Amino acid sequence: MFLARKLVLAHFWVAFVAFALALVLGEWQMYVRSPLSGWVGNPEHYYRSVTAHGTVMGYVLPTLVAMGFGYAITELSLKRPLIGITWAWAGFWLVVIGTVMAATPVALGQASLLYTFYPPMVGSAFYYLGVVLVVVGSWVWVALMAINLRAWKKANPGATIPLAMFGNVAGAYLWAWTAVGAAIEILVLILPVALGFKDTIDAGLSRVFFSWTLHAIVYFWLMPAYIAFYTIVPRAIGGRLYSDTMGRVAFVLFLVFSMPIGIHHLFADPQVGAGFKFVHAVFTAMVAVPTFLTVFTIVASLEIAARLRGGKGVIGWVKALPWDNAMMLAVTFSFVMLGLGGAGGIINMSYQLNETVHNTQWVTGHFHLIFAGAIVIMYFMVAYDLWPQLTKCRPLSTGLIKLQLWTWFLGMLVMTMPWHLVGLLGMPRRMAYFDYTHPDLQAQAWTVTVSTIGGLVLMVSGLLFIYILAAARKGAAEPAPYTFSAAAHPGERTPLALNSFAIWVTMMIALTVVNYGFPIAQLATLKETSVPAVRIGGQ
Amino acid sequence: MAAPHDPASRRYVQWSVISLVVLTLVTLLVGFVWLPSAHPDFSAQGIWAAICRAAGVPTKWGESTEPVKARVSTSVILPDVARSATSPAAIGLGATLALQQCTMCHGAQGVSAADTPNLAGQYPEVIVKQLVDYKNGHRTHSVMQALAANLADDDIRNLASYYASLPKPRLETTADDSPPPALVRVGDPVRNIAPCASCHGGIDRKLGTPWLENMPKRYLEDQLHAFASGARRNDSHAQMRNVVRQMTKSEIAEVSEFYARRGMPTGHR
Repeated sequence: MFLARKLVLAHFWVAFVAFALALVLGEWQMYVRSPLSGWVGNPEHYYRSVTAHGTVMGYVLPTLVAMGFGYAITELSLKRPLIGITWAWAGFWLVVIGTVMAATPVALGQASLLYTFYPPMVGSAFYYLGVVLVVVGSWVWVALMAINLRAWKKANPGATIPLAMFGNVAGAYLWAWTAVGAAIEILVLILPVALGFKDTIDAGLSRVFFSWTLHAIVYFWLMPAYIAFYTIVPRAIGGRLYSDTMGRVAFVLFLVFSMPIGIHHLFADPQVGAGFKFVHAVFTAMVAVPTFLTVFTIVASLEIAARLRGGKGVIGWVKALPWDNAMMLAVTFSFVMLGLGGAGGIINMSYQLNETVHNTQWVTGHFHLIFAGAIVIMYFMVAYDLWPQLTKCRPLSTGLIKLQLWTWFLGMLVMTMPWHLVGLLGMPRRMAYFDYTHPDLQAQAWTVTVSTIGGLVLMVSGLLFIYILAAARKGAAEPAPYTFSAAAHPGERTPLALNSFAIWVTMMIALTVVNYGFPIAQLATLKETSVPAVRIGGQ
Repeated sequence: MAAPHDPASRRYVQWSVISLVVLTLVTLLVGFVWLPSAHPDFSAQGIWAAICRAAGVPTKWGESTEPVKARVSTSVILPDVARSATSPAAIGLGATLALQQCTMCHGAQGVSAADTPNLAGQYPEVIVKQLVDYKNGHRTHSVMQALAANLADDDIRNLASYYASLPKPRLETTADDSPPPALVRVGDPVRNIAPCASCHGGIDRKLGTPWLENMPKRYLEDQLHAFASGARRNDSHAQMRNVVRQMTKSEIAEVSEFYARRGMPTGHR
């Protein structure tokens, strides 16, 4: 069993090494703009670093983790060898080559665009081609997930797809459709300019296409964490999953609602009509539904674990939870950060409240808390949980893991809370330096120092994560067979609709057409909307 | 992905599709009809106009698609540097002229200790611009104006070619390896002071700006004060005047000192 071990390990190692490098860059960025350091001599160096940090953290890390975890889930949950392992390796190498291809111009200062591209800025064509290769590599994974599921269904007619695989394939379909927006933006609008065939670019239309990808990509990042909530956490803390069906409902709701909501990133953009902004705000709010369902179901599963351990009372069972268990700690931290970040997110997506925080440090604080906090801490747990399977090592040191989780959690709060505060005071994001001698800024200087210290703690924690994985002794022990969480009501009948994707994918595409069709068609046909490209890196 | 056949599943699907359609329709109604009707800006021209506005259809500025054609300027006032820059004859003529008129103050090789600006290796368009300005009275100096008055356009170009061809003083050996002052590196955005290095070399160089390393401190300071007081006003778009007006006396001294010490041989002061 588990033939794809090397494949999964390769994905994880590339993801985590890139993560560690980007983490160091992130802390450098925090340091050079804090009062602890003089002003960064050349602001371009700062934006170069931000681009590398964002590209790795936004594209490379989550894509490789989702792919590696997806391959592992396919074998471990379907209990059959992965079909198309050669193709999987090809996809992996596409991602690696794409990463190197994108990183090189970034390092040379030819693509300091931040990972969100921001037309009319246009950088080196190699940067965009690199990103395209990463996406194409991940589409190989999407195809393999569909093929493996289809083969399993054929061999097991009428059987219920294991929940982990169901979530995994939902994530793959979500990603396939999500990535289309940025792919169109790059291939149709940006590359002709980057390659020198054109000198103007329709920045407004580009931004609309990118928003198509920009928000749903967040739910693609989130899928592995949610799969871990439903299918690993209850087992790891000795409980049962409260409801398998609720997991499926949450996954299909993400599929339907996470896609057509990206225009809430464009509330300040004049090229999109107010009506569509409102519609996207409403559907963004709908994403709270699967989130709350998940929190409810997982807390109920925790309660089952506590009661199995003798917990009593309405609230008293909380004391009986296995607090010395690393997974228990991780899910608690993750939910705290998800709660705080989610509350902030509801403010961001509200059309009017957004005005207060748009483009401030608040936004940076929000997505670090949600993604780097609530989601990445579960990536850590996925790696820790799979490591004995992947390397045949002895169980990892719980003490070190708990130290790593605590430092990540505290570091994240220390870093992001001051960002939220100064964001409300109006501190803009994406600044290479602040003039702390100015009386208006002087009072906020301490917050940047505090965030820098939080970032330092995060960097230490991230490097400790790498150390824990690297220090595991390979081949020291034969791992016990891997299991996913058992449901509290085994044999519960799953409705056919929640055992297939056709209807949900159709709804996802239909809703995208309704929510994006008109703005895109209108901007594409409107004349004289292009502006001169701003070339980056003195091209 | 088989189509659902069992009744429970069919109910699931029907319920889901109907809820999504109802939610979408209600949202569209609120976003495109109800909310716009609450804003006079949106609803003044009737419901259809309100819906179009909410959808982002441009109203006024989209009607005329023909841009107003500006008259094209044909007069380009840039020093004609490219033509003579590399001609050996121009360099020779410039050298002869320089020997007669310039070396007394600017040094035999374009570098002098007489607190005059160094000219060796200076960009040709800088020399052209300054000589033309002296000639036309846009920059004042009792000696330079008198000398420039008699220079023909070709003389000026030849002098520029000659000085551009001379080697710059070596910059590798510097007496001072302390980091540049903040004003040189990053300027001061709040006071609207651009970094010196963004035009004078280091970060970027802009056409018409001289390189400054190893210029006499006295000269640099005098020029900055002249810009600040408005006594010198031949900088294009008042760039230098706007920057220097914001600088304090000690900042002027600091950046002048920095550029003066750059490239000075070790031990020299």
